Amino acid sequence: MINAVRSELLRTRRKGVVLGWFGLTILFTAMINMVMAQVVGSSRAQPEGGPGVSFPTLDQWQAADGITAGLSSAASMYGVVALSFWAIVTAGDYSSGLIRLTASAQPDRVRLLLGKVGALSLWTAAVTTVALIANLIIAPMAARSADLDVSAWGQDVLPTLAGAWFNLLATLLVWGVIGLVLALVTRSAAVSISVGVGYVLVVEAVITAALDAIADWTPGATLSALAQGGTGSIPYGTALALGALYTLLGLGVALTVFQRRDITD
Amino acid sequence: MSVIKTAGLTRRFGEVTALEHLTLELPRAGVIGLVGPNGSGKSTLIRILLGLIAPTSGTAEVLNEPISAPGRYLQRVGALVENPAFVPGLSARANLMSLARLRGLPASRVDEVLRTVGLTGRDTEPVKRFSLGMKQRLGIAAALLPDPELLILDEPTNGLDPSGIVEIRGLLADLARAGRTVIVSSHLLAEIETVCDYLVVIRFGHLVYSGPVTDLLARTSRRIEIAAEHARDTSSLLTLLSADGWQVEPTSDGRLGVAADEHEGAELNRSATRGGITLKSMTPVRGSLEEIFLEMTGDSDQDLTAARAAAAERKAS
Repeated sequence: MINAVRSELLRTRRKGVVLGWFGLTILFTAMINMVMAQVVGSSRAQPEGGPGVSFPTLDQWQAADGITAGLSSAASMYGVVALSFWAIVTAGDYSSGLIRLTASAQPDRVRLLLGKVGALSLWTAAVTTVALIANLIIAPMAARSADLDVSAWGQDVLPTLAGAWFNLLATLLVWGVIGLVLALVTRSAAVSISVGVGYVLVVEAVITAALDAIADWTPGATLSALAQGGTGSIPYGTALALGALYTLLGLGVALTVFQRRDITD
Repeated sequence: MSVIKTAGLTRRFGEVTALEHLTLELPRAGVIGLVGPNGSGKSTLIRILLGLIAPTSGTAEVLNEPISAPGRYLQRVGALVENPAFVPGLSARANLMSLARLRGLPASRVDEVLRTVGLTGRDTEPVKRFSLGMKQRLGIAAALLPDPELLILDEPTNGLDPSGIVEIRGLLADLARAGRTVIVSSHLLAEIETVCDYLVVIRFGHLVYSGPVTDLLARTSRRIEIAAEHARDTSSLLTLLSADGWQVEPTSDGRLGVAADEHEGAELNRSATRGGITLKSMTPVRGSLEEIFLEMTGDSDQDLTAARAAAAERKAS
């Protein structure tokens, strides 16, 4: 198992993947913090959260844990990026034909897939750390530029950061597993990303509007709540349990598909 | 002792039957050629043996282990299936290292196979800068990583320059001498004839031939091409030999082709001498694998047409 993880880590250690993923994470962190500081600091009414984006109130942002508000606000953006990179790495094995080599070298497909999940999880943890560090650097700058008092940010720093890091990691892992499943089913990175982004931007909004009863159970809402450490409508425990359930279901589907389908590419 | 054994192996892709009741047994050790036109089922057979796809029905064993449990034998099998596929942005060494790690092999094994295929010195370059021939060498290196008992290579000399082809031929022969079994799937029948000891011919998913190459070549019609010392004697020689019971026909280059085995050369020479004609040359001519292949598989697709053209070219030269 460790061999499979180490092998996958080496294969995914590509400049394009690493710089692209890390770069987009830093870009989104800067963007969300700058916009958020202007929005919460202005006297204008808070804009409606766009697809996958939710802004905190001024009080929430100025609270001790407000320093990590940018992470939870941009969680869906990070999530779509994570879904994309998990899908690119997984579907890329099929489009390049590399899967023939790896499946011949490691015939235990469960081990092979879990090795990929392990390696991508480690990359996701690294990306989460990058997002946290970028947020720690950018959020105070954004607050200063909007002339906001964020003196409370110095309190309970470690528990706040650890909690935000864990919540964002858990959220991104669920997004990543969704990307993995889509890539294994469609064997196409483009189709997987289109389906994932389309779901976040359109499908979930339609489902929520049409079926109010399940609005709090949908993946997007659940993952937003998980990233925020719980919301009024979805408590943290529920979000965590649903996130774990989505992950297990996703891994179950991925393992079944990967084990049973022929490798004909 | 067989290296591969199949019984009634069948694989269908929807309406298409890629392999149909394929039953064969391949001997351990030596170089085995797997030939057949495009779509004959070669790649499907290789993929089934490597556990990449499952058969629709039938059974097979590789190194005496059932294909339903590829984990029991794939650590002893190296394979290059179709075009070599690697991560283009990574170096040759990193690509091999990732496969070595997957197999639980030490880094020193990577150095060994890089040396074997002649890529030492180029191993730190990204694979995307490699030529087709270099990628092919890297693919062979990847197949050699587990120091396999059984090596399955699909078109191993594809893209290699003549010296590279000679090197790979030598490598295959060395592996066979060391007791390994090498299965080579190729369209280059002349190549197969040179390298292989044993041959499997498949057409439309059916087994056409499985046996030693020498046995197959022995089936071909043999003849001796002769030339009279003086060209003016050629027609007399034809009449004379025909009267003696030989089957003779003129060739396009003014000589005569006689249906005879090499050991009948002396008798043929005596027939000519008895008629007062001195022979300038006697050349035994053996049918090529390409000709036999065409006879066995017909000419139903482009591959066969190409093979026929190649055979005609060889004949003319």
